[in-house]
Amino acid sequence: MSIAESIQSIGFLTQLRESALVYPIIMTTHLSCIAIFGGLILMTDMRLLGLALRSRSVTDVVGQFRIWKRIGFCVMITMGVLLASCEAEKYTPNPYFWAKMSLLVLVGVHAAIFRKSVYNSTEEIDRAPAIPARAKLAGASSLILWLSILSMGRLIGYWEPPKVTQASPTVTATAHVPR
Amino acid sequence: MFLAEANPLNASELIFPTLECIHIAGFAILVGTIAIVDFRLLGVGMRQQTSAELARDLGPWTLFGLVLMLFSGPLMFSSDPDMYYLNRSFQIKMALLLVAIIFNYTIHRRVALKGASPPKSKLVACVSMLLWVGVIFGGIFIAFI
Repeated sequence: MSIAESIQSIGFLTQLRESALVYPIIMTTHLSCIAIFGGLILMTDMRLLGLALRSRSVTDVVGQFRIWKRIGFCVMITMGVLLASCEAEKYTPNPYFWAKMSLLVLVGVHAAIFRKSVYNSTEEIDRAPAIPARAKLAGASSLILWLSILSMGRLIGYWEPPKVTQASPTVTATAHVPR
Repeated sequence: MFLAEANPLNASELIFPTLECIHIAGFAILVGTIAIVDFRLLGVGMRQQTSAELARDLGPWTLFGLVLMLFSGPLMFSSDPDMYYLNRSFQIKMALLLVAIIFNYTIHRRVALKGASPPKSKLVACVSMLLWVGVIFGGIFIAFI
């Protein structure tokens, strides 16, 4: 039995996978967190780029959003872990899943690089005559990272493992495959 | 005429997922900016600003998110109109969306800009959050029923 198989065979994860209601509810919670708290991340990035909330100081935006972004991040990760582990066998060969995980690691790298110089020195940024390049770089890279994570997350549902048997290819009319 | 096969959208496998990504980014901006105002109305975040200041600052972004939604959503719908039209979850989503948009630009906007006593403003914030989460629920369940 593979590791992925044994993970998803854990009792409650099996139940979760097979439930008609719980699985989509967890997915909705994941998406609601993206909407509410992902929105906070995007707006913080926009503030650092000087595109939104310009009449609010960077200190205000970064400082006051921080706790909510953290709470949202935790809920989002918890739901994500549940979604992935209950279908571990489907996720482990999926390249988009690994792309998403790699990008999440880069979020950690991003934090390590910019925490001190940007997120913990917002008062200095507010005092500067113009938004410093490092703050704009932090905002732009965070924006790109999160939009890529979101896209990879969506594409996970579109990847199918290569067929082992040579079945005759049937072309479907719609390219639309839900989930 | 409205056959899914005739829609150029279905010519490429990449168009639909791309629209979905735009849709998700759009609702992160739309719901995220509304949620910031709601957090303020609930008194749990952004307390150094008034809800009116936040609503005014974020208004253009809320509208930008809404435009992304109303651009990507109908295009996605057009890829398979019959399926969506008959989908109960989709029908509920559209009803909730209509109520959510009207609520946002009437009661929610008025309370955020003019202020209201705590019980009322908190109720408005809760209703707003619930409506938008309801819309997301409806969207996800389209694929599950």
